[in-house]
Amino acid sequence: MALRCMCLQATWNYERQQGLGFAWALQPALERLVADRAARLERLAAHTAYFNTQPTLASLAVGATAALEARRAAGEADDASLARVKAALGSSLAALGDRLFWFTLRPVAALGGLLLAVDGRWEGALVLVACYNGLHLGVRVLGVGWGWRRGPAVLDEAFRRRVERLVRGLAVLGCAAVGVLVAMLLVPVAGMRPVVFQAALAAGLGVGFVTAQRARPSPTEWALGVGTLCVLATWFR
Amino acid sequence: MSGVEIALTLLVAGLAALDATPVGQTLVSQPLVTAAALGAVWGDMGTALAVGAVLQVLAASTLPVGARTPEDYASGGVVGAALALALAAREPFPMARDAAALLGCLGGMVAATLGVPIVKWQRRRNEGLARWAEAALRAGDAGALASAHRAAVVLAFAAGVTYAAVSLAVLLPATAPLVGGASLKLSRAWALAQPLWIGLGLAQLLHAFVQRRLTRAAVFAAALLVGWLTRIVGMP
Repeated sequence: MALRCMCLQATWNYERQQGLGFAWALQPALERLVADRAARLERLAAHTAYFNTQPTLASLAVGATAALEARRAAGEADDASLARVKAALGSSLAALGDRLFWFTLRPVAALGGLLLAVDGRWEGALVLVACYNGLHLGVRVLGVGWGWRRGPAVLDEAFRRRVERLVRGLAVLGCAAVGVLVAMLLVPVAGMRPVVFQAALAAGLGVGFVTAQRARPSPTEWALGVGTLCVLATWFR
Repeated sequence: MSGVEIALTLLVAGLAALDATPVGQTLVSQPLVTAAALGAVWGDMGTALAVGAVLQVLAASTLPVGARTPEDYASGGVVGAALALALAAREPFPMARDAAALLGCLGGMVAATLGVPIVKWQRRRNEGLARWAEAALRAGDAGALASAHRAAVVLAFAAGVTYAAVSLAVLLPATAPLVGGASLKLSRAWALAQPLWIGLGLAQLLHAFVQRRLTRAAVFAAALLVGWLTRIVGMP
Protein backbone atom coordinates (compact mmCIF):
# COMPACT_ATOMS: atom_id res chain seq x y z
CA MET A 1 0.00 0.00 0.00
CA ALA A 2 2.85 2.39 0.83
CA LEU A 3 4.40 1.73 -2.59
CA ARG A 4 1.05 2.30 -4.28
CA CYS A 5 0.76 5.63 -2.45
CA MET A 6 3.78 6.74 -4.53
CA CYS A 7 1.49 6.64 -7.58
CA LEU A 8 -1.41 8.44 -5.87
CA GLN A 9 -1.23 11.29 -8.37
CA ALA A 10 -0.58 9.21 -11.52
CA THR A 11 -4.20 9.57 -12.65
CA TRP A 12 -4.77 13.07 -11.15
CA ASN A 13 -7.60 14.80 -13.01
CA TYR A 14 -9.87 17.82 -12.57
CA GLU A 15 -13.00 15.74 -11.94
CA ARG A 16 -11.93 13.34 -9.16
CA GLN A 17 -8.37 14.59 -8.50
CA GLN A 18 -6.67 11.75 -6.52
CA GLY A 19 -9.77 9.54 -6.33
CA LEU A 20 -8.53 6.78 -8.63
CA GLY A 21 -5.09 6.70 -7.02
CA PHE A 22 -6.66 6.50 -3.57
CA ALA A 23 -8.77 3.49 -4.59
CA TRP A 24 -5.73 1.75 -6.09
CA ALA A 25 -3.68 2.33 -2.92
CA LEU A 26 -6.53 0.95 -0.81
CA GLN A 27 -7.08 -2.15 -2.99
CA PRO A 28 -4.74 -4.54 -1.04
CA ALA A 29 -6.53 -3.70 2.24
CA LEU A 30 -9.98 -4.24 0.73
CA GLU A 31 -8.86 -7.58 -0.71
CA ARG A 32 -8.18 -8.75 2.85
CA LEU A 33 -11.15 -7.07 4.51
CA VAL A 34 -13.99 -7.75 2.05
CA ALA A 35 -14.24 -11.43 1.14
CA ASP A 36 -17.10 -11.14 -1.36
CA ARG A 37 -15.69 -10.15 -4.79
CA ALA A 38 -18.72 -8.18 -5.98
CA ALA A 39 -18.93 -6.23 -2.71
CA ARG A 40 -15.20 -5.53 -2.83
CA LEU A 41 -15.37 -4.16 -6.38
CA GLU A 42 -18.34 -2.02 -5.35
CA ARG A 43 -16.30 -0.56 -2.46
CA LEU A 44 -13.35 0.08 -4.79
CA ALA A 45 -15.64 1.83 -7.30
CA ALA A 46 -17.01 3.99 -4.47
CA HIS A 47 -13.46 5.00 -3.47
CA THR A 48 -12.74 6.28 -7.02
CA ALA A 49 -14.94 9.31 -6.17
CA TYR A 50 -13.43 12.77 -5.57
CA PHE A 51 -10.57 12.89 -3.08
CA ASN A 52 -7.72 15.35 -2.74
CA THR A 53 -5.01 16.03 -0.20
CA GLN A 54 -1.29 16.72 0.00
CA PRO A 55 0.27 13.59 -1.59
CA THR A 56 2.87 12.84 1.12
CA LEU A 57 0.41 12.97 4.02
CA ALA A 58 -2.10 11.00 1.90
CA SER A 59 -0.42 7.86 3.28
CA LEU A 60 -1.97 8.65 6.68
CA ALA A 61 -5.41 9.05 5.07
CA VAL A 62 -5.04 5.74 3.20
CA GLY A 63 -4.08 3.91 6.43
CA ALA A 64 -6.84 5.56 8.46
CA THR A 65 -9.44 4.78 5.76
CA ALA A 66 -8.30 1.14 5.72
CA ALA A 67 -8.86 1.06 9.50
CA LEU A 68 -12.36 2.48 8.96
CA GLU A 69 -13.03 -0.14 6.28
CA ALA A 70 -12.07 -2.81 8.84
CA ARG A 71 -14.64 -1.33 11.27
CA ARG A 72 -17.22 -1.21 8.47
CA ALA A 73 -16.55 -4.88 7.64
CA ALA A 74 -17.13 -5.66 11.34
CA GLY A 75 -20.43 -3.72 11.22
CA GLU A 76 -19.16 -0.88 13.45
CA ALA A 77 -19.32 1.90 10.80
CA ASP A 78 -21.50 2.76 7.81
CA ASP A 79 -20.71 4.10 4.31
CA ALA A 80 -21.85 7.66 5.07
CA SER A 81 -19.70 8.11 8.17
CA LEU A 82 -16.71 6.58 6.38
CA ALA A 83 -17.09 9.04 3.49
CA ARG A 84 -17.42 11.97 5.93
CA VAL A 85 -14.28 11.04 7.88
CA LYS A 86 -12.34 10.46 4.64
CA ALA A 87 -13.29 13.91 3.31
CA ALA A 88 -12.40 15.58 6.62
CA LEU A 89 -9.02 13.81 6.71
CA GLY A 90 -8.34 14.91 3.12
CA SER A 91 -8.91 18.61 3.71
CA SER A 92 -7.16 18.74 7.11
CA LEU A 93 -4.09 16.85 5.89
CA ALA A 94 -3.96 19.08 2.80
CA ALA A 95 -3.86 22.22 4.94
CA LEU A 96 -1.01 20.84 7.07
CA GLY A 97 0.88 19.07 4.27
CA ASP A 98 0.86 21.97 1.81
CA ARG A 99 2.45 24.24 4.41
CA LEU A 100 4.99 21.66 5.57
CA PHE A 101 6.06 20.03 2.30
CA TRP A 102 5.29 22.46 -0.57
CA PHE A 103 5.71 25.86 1.07
CA THR A 104 8.50 25.14 3.57
CA LEU A 105 10.48 21.90 3.20
CA ARG A 106 10.75 22.05 -0.60
CA PRO A 107 12.26 25.60 -0.65
CA VAL A 108 14.53 24.78 2.32
CA ALA A 109 15.82 21.64 0.55
CA ALA A 110 16.37 23.69 -2.61
CA LEU A 111 18.36 26.27 -0.64
CA GLY A 112 20.46 23.46 0.91
CA GLY A 113 21.34 22.28 -2.60
CA LEU A 114 22.01 25.81 -3.86
CA LEU A 115 24.48 26.51 -1.03
CA LEU A 116 26.79 23.95 -2.65
CA ALA A 117 25.80 24.53 -6.27
CA VAL A 118 26.81 28.23 -6.25
CA ASP A 119 30.38 27.09 -5.53
CA GLY A 120 30.15 24.79 -8.56
CA ARG A 121 29.69 21.60 -6.56
CA TRP A 122 27.36 18.99 -8.08
CA GLU A 123 26.82 17.44 -4.62
CA GLY A 124 24.24 20.19 -4.12
CA ALA A 125 21.82 18.08 -6.16
CA LEU A 126 22.28 15.17 -3.75
CA VAL A 127 21.80 17.46 -0.73
CA LEU A 128 18.52 18.77 -2.20
CA VAL A 129 17.15 15.25 -2.73
CA ALA A 130 18.40 13.96 0.66
CA CYS A 131 17.04 16.98 2.63
CA TYR A 132 13.56 16.54 1.19
CA ASN A 133 13.29 12.77 1.13
CA GLY A 134 14.42 12.14 4.70
CA LEU A 135 10.99 13.32 5.83
CA HIS A 136 9.00 12.80 2.61
CA LEU A 137 9.85 9.13 2.06
CA GLY A 138 9.72 8.44 5.80
CA VAL A 139 6.12 9.68 6.02
CA ARG A 140 5.16 8.01 2.75
CA VAL A 141 6.45 4.59 3.78
CA LEU A 142 5.57 4.62 7.48
CA GLY A 143 2.41 6.76 7.20
CA VAL A 144 0.11 3.93 6.06
CA GLY A 145 0.94 1.79 9.10
CA TRP A 146 0.60 4.82 11.38
CA GLY A 147 -2.83 5.68 9.93
CA TRP A 148 -3.95 2.04 10.16
CA ARG A 149 -3.00 1.77 13.85
CA ARG A 150 -4.51 5.10 14.95
CA GLY A 151 -7.45 5.42 12.55
CA PRO A 152 -8.98 8.92 12.22
CA ALA A 153 -7.30 9.85 15.54
CA VAL A 154 -4.02 10.06 13.62
CA LEU A 155 -4.86 13.71 13.02
CA ASP A 156 -5.04 14.69 16.68
CA GLU A 157 -3.99 17.94 18.34
CA ALA A 158 -0.50 16.62 19.22
CA PHE A 159 0.18 15.80 15.55
CA ARG A 160 -0.96 19.26 14.44
CA ARG A 161 1.24 20.91 17.06
CA ARG A 162 4.27 18.86 15.96
CA VAL A 163 3.73 19.85 12.32
CA GLU A 164 3.30 23.53 13.25
CA ARG A 165 6.53 23.47 15.28
CA LEU A 166 8.36 21.83 12.39
CA VAL A 167 7.04 24.43 9.91
CA ARG A 168 8.16 27.29 12.18
CA GLY A 169 11.61 25.75 12.68
CA LEU A 170 12.09 25.14 8.96
CA ALA A 171 11.01 28.71 8.14
CA VAL A 172 13.70 30.09 10.49
CA LEU A 173 16.25 27.72 8.92
CA GLY A 174 15.12 28.96 5.48
CA CYS A 175 15.73 32.60 6.51
CA ALA A 176 19.25 31.71 7.68
CA ALA A 177 19.94 29.74 4.48
CA VAL A 178 18.89 32.70 2.28
CA GLY A 179 21.22 34.97 4.30
CA VAL A 180 24.20 32.63 3.94
CA LEU A 181 23.45 32.13 0.22
CA VAL A 182 23.40 35.89 -0.45
CA ALA A 183 26.73 36.20 1.41
CA MET A 184 28.21 33.37 -0.66
CA LEU A 185 27.03 35.01 -3.87
CA LEU A 186 28.60 38.32 -2.89
CA VAL A 187 31.91 36.74 -1.87
CA PRO A 188 32.58 33.56 -3.86
CA VAL A 189 35.56 31.29 -3.20
CA ALA A 190 37.69 33.00 -5.87
CA GLY A 191 37.36 36.52 -4.35
CA MET A 192 35.02 39.53 -4.38
CA ARG A 193 32.46 39.80 -7.17
CA PRO A 194 32.49 42.85 -9.45
CA VAL A 195 30.37 45.82 -8.35
CA VAL A 196 28.00 45.22 -11.29
CA PHE A 197 27.18 41.77 -9.94
CA GLN A 198 26.59 43.07 -6.40
CA ALA A 199 24.40 45.92 -7.66
CA ALA A 200 22.40 43.57 -9.92
CA LEU A 201 21.91 41.10 -7.05
CA ALA A 202 20.67 43.92 -4.79
CA ALA A 203 18.37 45.15 -7.57
CA GLY A 204 17.06 41.60 -8.06
CA LEU A 205 16.33 41.31 -4.33
CA GLY A 206 14.53 44.66 -4.42
CA VAL A 207 12.42 43.72 -7.45
CA GLY A 208 11.70 40.35 -5.82
CA PHE A 209 10.39 41.94 -2.60
CA VAL A 210 8.11 44.27 -4.56
CA THR A 211 6.78 41.53 -6.85
CA ALA A 212 6.29 39.08 -3.97
CA GLN A 213 3.41 41.26 -2.69
CA ARG A 214 1.18 39.95 -5.51
CA ALA A 215 0.64 36.41 -6.77
CA ARG A 216 0.59 37.54 -10.42
CA PRO A 217 2.61 37.92 -12.57
CA SER A 218 4.44 34.80 -11.38
CA PRO A 219 8.20 34.88 -10.53
CA THR A 220 8.89 33.14 -13.84
CA GLU A 221 6.98 35.77 -15.81
CA TRP A 222 8.93 38.50 -14.00
CA ALA A 223 12.19 36.67 -14.68
CA LEU A 224 11.36 36.36 -18.39
CA GLY A 225 10.66 40.10 -18.53
CA VAL A 226 13.88 40.95 -16.66
CA GLY A 227 15.92 38.61 -18.89
CA THR A 228 14.48 40.11 -22.07
CA LEU A 229 15.29 43.63 -20.81
CA CYS A 230 18.89 42.59 -20.05
CA VAL A 231 19.31 41.20 -23.59
CA LEU A 232 17.79 44.33 -25.16
CA ALA A 233 19.90 46.64 -22.98
CA THR A 234 23.18 44.97 -23.96
CA TRP A 235 22.11 44.44 -27.59
CA PHE A 236 21.36 48.10 -28.34
CA ARG A 237 24.02 49.60 -26.07
CA MET B 1 26.40 16.05 -29.74
CA SER B 2 26.26 12.25 -29.88
CA GLY B 3 23.30 9.88 -30.06
CA VAL B 4 24.04 8.65 -26.53
CA GLU B 5 23.90 12.20 -25.13
CA ILE B 6 20.59 12.85 -26.89
CA ALA B 7 19.10 9.53 -25.74
CA LEU B 8 20.19 10.08 -22.12
CA THR B 9 18.88 13.66 -22.16
CA LEU B 10 15.47 12.46 -23.33
CA LEU B 11 15.53 9.67 -20.73
CA VAL B 12 16.18 12.27 -18.00
CA ALA B 13 13.27 14.33 -19.43
CA GLY B 14 10.94 11.32 -19.22
CA LEU B 15 11.99 10.42 -15.68
CA ALA B 16 11.63 14.05 -14.56
CA ALA B 17 8.11 14.16 -16.03
CA LEU B 18 7.25 11.03 -14.03
CA ASP B 19 8.67 12.34 -10.75
CA ALA B 20 7.04 15.78 -11.07
CA THR B 21 3.49 14.52 -10.47
CA PRO B 22 2.63 10.90 -11.35
CA VAL B 23 5.27 8.92 -9.41
CA GLY B 24 6.97 9.72 -6.12
CA GLN B 25 7.42 13.54 -6.10
CA THR B 26 10.90 12.94 -4.66
CA LEU B 27 12.22 16.22 -6.20
CA VAL B 28 14.64 14.44 -8.55
CA SER B 29 12.73 16.39 -11.22
CA GLN B 30 13.95 19.72 -9.79
CA PRO B 31 16.14 21.77 -12.18
CA LEU B 32 19.29 21.54 -10.04
CA VAL B 33 19.12 17.73 -9.94
CA THR B 34 18.35 17.24 -13.64
CA ALA B 35 21.00 19.84 -14.57
CA ALA B 36 23.64 17.97 -12.50
CA ALA B 37 22.65 14.70 -14.20
CA LEU B 38 22.86 16.31 -17.65
CA GLY B 39 26.18 17.98 -16.73
CA ALA B 40 27.58 14.51 -16.01
CA VAL B 41 26.17 13.16 -19.29
CA TRP B 42 27.54 16.05 -21.41
CA GLY B 43 30.81 16.43 -19.46
CA ASP B 44 30.31 20.15 -18.61
CA MET B 45 29.23 20.53 -15.01
CA GLY B 46 30.01 24.28 -14.84
CA THR B 47 27.49 25.32 -17.51
CA ALA B 48 24.90 22.82 -16.25
CA LEU B 49 25.08 24.10 -12.65
CA ALA B 50 25.01 27.77 -13.73
CA VAL B 51 21.71 27.16 -15.54
CA GLY B 52 20.41 24.70 -12.94
CA ALA B 53 20.98 27.14 -10.05
CA VAL B 54 19.05 29.98 -11.72
CA LEU B 55 16.14 27.74 -12.73
CA GLN B 56 16.16 26.11 -9.27
CA VAL B 57 15.77 29.44 -7.48
CA LEU B 58 12.82 30.30 -9.73
CA ALA B 59 11.30 26.81 -9.39
CA ALA B 60 11.55 26.96 -5.58
CA SER B 61 9.80 30.35 -5.53
CA THR B 62 6.99 29.07 -7.77
CA LEU B 63 4.21 27.78 -5.53
CA PRO B 64 0.98 26.00 -6.47
CA VAL B 65 -1.22 28.76 -4.97
CA GLY B 66 -5.00 28.20 -5.25
CA ALA B 67 -6.23 26.70 -8.51
CA ARG B 68 -3.24 27.99 -10.49
CA THR B 69 -1.17 25.33 -12.27
CA PRO B 70 2.48 26.31 -11.65
CA GLU B 71 5.10 26.39 -14.40
CA ASP B 72 6.40 22.97 -15.42
CA TYR B 73 10.00 23.21 -14.19
CA ALA B 74 10.51 19.45 -14.56
CA SER B 75 10.48 19.95 -18.35
CA GLY B 76 11.85 23.50 -18.21
CA GLY B 77 14.88 22.39 -16.17
CA VAL B 78 15.80 19.63 -18.61
CA VAL B 79 15.22 21.77 -21.73
CA GLY B 80 17.16 24.75 -20.27
CA ALA B 81 20.19 22.76 -19.14
CA ALA B 82 20.30 20.60 -22.31
CA LEU B 83 20.00 23.67 -24.56
CA ALA B 84 22.87 25.44 -22.75
CA LEU B 85 25.04 22.32 -22.82
CA ALA B 86 24.43 21.69 -26.52
CA LEU B 87 25.18 25.34 -27.39
CA ALA B 88 28.31 25.46 -25.18
CA ALA B 89 29.61 22.24 -26.73
CA ARG B 90 29.68 23.91 -30.18
CA GLU B 91 31.74 26.98 -29.15
CA PRO B 92 34.50 26.15 -26.64
CA PHE B 93 35.15 29.74 -25.40
CA PRO B 94 34.25 31.11 -21.92
CA MET B 95 32.26 33.96 -23.48
CA ALA B 96 30.24 31.52 -25.59
CA ARG B 97 29.61 29.46 -22.45
CA ASP B 98 28.06 32.48 -20.73
CA ALA B 99 25.96 33.20 -23.82
CA ALA B 100 24.83 29.55 -23.85
CA ALA B 101 23.91 29.75 -20.15
CA LEU B 102 21.79 32.88 -20.77
CA LEU B 103 19.95 31.28 -23.69
CA GLY B 104 19.56 28.05 -21.71
CA CYS B 105 17.92 29.90 -18.80
CA LEU B 106 15.58 31.83 -21.11
CA GLY B 107 14.78 28.64 -23.06
CA GLY B 108 14.11 26.77 -19.80
CA MET B 109 11.73 29.48 -18.54
CA VAL B 110 9.85 29.53 -21.86
CA ALA B 111 9.63 25.71 -21.89
CA ALA B 112 8.39 25.70 -18.26
CA THR B 113 5.69 28.26 -19.11
CA LEU B 114 4.57 26.56 -22.34
CA GLY B 115 4.58 23.17 -20.59
CA VAL B 116 1.54 24.14 -18.48
CA PRO B 117 -1.04 23.41 -21.24
CA ILE B 118 0.51 19.94 -21.72
CA VAL B 119 0.15 19.19 -18.00
CA LYS B 120 -3.50 20.34 -18.19
CA TRP B 121 -4.07 18.19 -21.30
CA GLN B 122 -2.80 15.10 -19.44
CA ARG B 123 -5.11 15.86 -16.53
CA ARG B 124 -8.09 16.10 -18.88
CA ARG B 125 -7.10 12.78 -20.52
CA ASN B 126 -7.03 11.23 -17.04
CA GLU B 127 -10.69 12.21 -16.52
CA GLY B 128 -11.69 9.73 -19.25
CA LEU B 129 -9.38 7.13 -17.74
CA ALA B 130 -11.01 7.57 -14.30
CA ARG B 131 -14.53 7.20 -15.71
CA TRP B 132 -13.49 4.09 -17.66
CA ALA B 133 -11.86 2.54 -14.56
CA GLU B 134 -14.96 3.08 -12.42
CA ALA B 135 -17.23 1.55 -15.09
CA ALA B 136 -14.84 -1.40 -15.54
CA LEU B 137 -14.76 -2.01 -11.76
CA ARG B 138 -18.56 -2.03 -11.61
CA ALA B 139 -18.56 -4.45 -14.56
CA GLY B 140 -16.30 -6.83 -12.55
CA ASP B 141 -12.81 -6.04 -13.89
CA ALA B 142 -10.57 -6.07 -10.77
CA GLY B 143 -7.48 -5.12 -12.79
CA ALA B 144 -8.97 -1.86 -14.12
CA LEU B 145 -7.22 0.34 -11.54
CA ALA B 146 -3.80 -1.14 -12.30
CA SER B 147 -4.40 -0.76 -16.07
CA ALA B 148 -5.46 2.88 -15.63
CA HIS B 149 -2.33 3.63 -13.61
CA ARG B 150 -0.07 1.94 -16.16
CA ALA B 151 -1.66 3.97 -18.96
CA ALA B 152 -1.31 7.27 -17.06
CA VAL B 153 2.36 6.61 -16.22
CA VAL B 154 3.19 5.71 -19.84
CA LEU B 155 1.35 8.84 -21.05
CA ALA B 156 3.27 11.10 -18.64
CA PHE B 157 6.63 9.59 -19.64
CA ALA B 158 5.86 9.87 -23.35
CA ALA B 159 4.60 13.45 -22.97
CA GLY B 160 7.78 14.45 -21.07
CA VAL B 161 10.11 12.89 -23.66
CA THR B 162 8.19 14.30 -26.64
CA TYR B 163 7.92 17.80 -25.21
CA ALA B 164 11.65 17.95 -24.41
CA ALA B 165 12.55 16.59 -27.87
CA VAL B 166 10.30 19.08 -29.70
CA SER B 167 11.47 22.02 -27.54
CA LEU B 168 15.14 21.24 -28.18
CA ALA B 169 14.52 20.64 -31.89
CA VAL B 170 12.96 24.13 -32.14
CA LEU B 171 15.22 26.08 -29.75
CA LEU B 172 18.63 24.67 -30.73
CA PRO B 173 18.66 25.74 -34.41
CA ALA B 174 17.00 29.05 -33.48
CA THR B 175 19.61 30.01 -30.85
CA ALA B 176 22.83 28.46 -32.25
CA PRO B 177 23.55 31.39 -34.67
CA LEU B 178 23.21 33.85 -31.74
CA VAL B 179 25.95 32.11 -29.75
CA GLY B 180 28.18 32.02 -32.83
CA GLY B 181 27.60 35.65 -33.86
CA ALA B 182 26.70 37.64 -30.75
CA SER B 183 28.36 35.86 -27.84
CA LEU B 184 29.97 39.09 -26.54
CA LYS B 185 26.62 40.88 -26.22
CA LEU B 186 24.94 37.81 -24.76
CA SER B 187 27.71 37.20 -22.23
CA ARG B 188 27.29 40.81 -21.02
CA ALA B 189 23.56 40.21 -20.73
CA TRP B 190 24.32 37.05 -18.68
CA ALA B 191 26.54 39.05 -16.30
CA LEU B 192 23.55 41.31 -15.65
CA ALA B 193 20.68 38.80 -15.79
CA GLN B 194 22.16 36.01 -13.63
CA PRO B 195 22.35 38.02 -10.35
CA LEU B 196 19.01 39.72 -11.13
CA TRP B 197 17.27 36.35 -11.58
CA ILE B 198 18.85 34.83 -8.46
CA GLY B 199 18.05 37.94 -6.39
CA LEU B 200 14.46 37.99 -7.64
CA GLY B 201 13.92 34.34 -6.73
CA LEU B 202 15.65 34.57 -3.33
CA ALA B 203 13.56 37.61 -2.37
CA GLN B 204 10.38 35.65 -3.14
CA LEU B 205 11.59 32.79 -0.93
CA LEU B 206 12.62 35.13 1.88
CA HIS B 207 9.27 36.90 1.72
CA ALA B 208 7.49 33.55 2.08
CA PHE B 209 9.68 32.52 5.04
CA VAL B 210 9.67 35.81 6.97
CA GLN B 211 5.88 36.45 6.86
CA ARG B 212 6.30 39.84 8.54
CA ARG B 213 7.97 38.36 11.63
CA LEU B 214 10.81 40.54 12.89
CA THR B 215 12.69 37.65 14.52
CA ARG B 216 12.94 35.81 11.21
CA ALA B 217 14.13 38.95 9.41
CA ALA B 218 16.77 39.31 12.13
CA VAL B 219 17.86 35.68 11.58
CA PHE B 220 18.30 36.46 7.85
CA ALA B 221 20.35 39.59 8.60
CA ALA B 222 22.54 37.80 11.16
CA ALA B 223 23.17 34.87 8.78
CA LEU B 224 24.04 37.29 5.97
CA LEU B 225 26.52 39.18 8.17
CA VAL B 226 28.15 36.04 9.63
CA GLY B 227 28.31 34.37 6.20
CA TRP B 228 29.83 37.48 4.62
CA LEU B 229 32.46 37.89 7.37
CA THR B 230 33.36 34.18 7.22
CA ARG B 231 33.87 34.36 3.45
CA ILE B 232 35.90 37.57 3.69
CA VAL B 233 38.19 36.08 6.36
CA GLY B 234 38.63 32.86 4.35
CA MET B 235 39.35 34.73 1.08
CA PRO B 236 42.67 33.83 -0.64
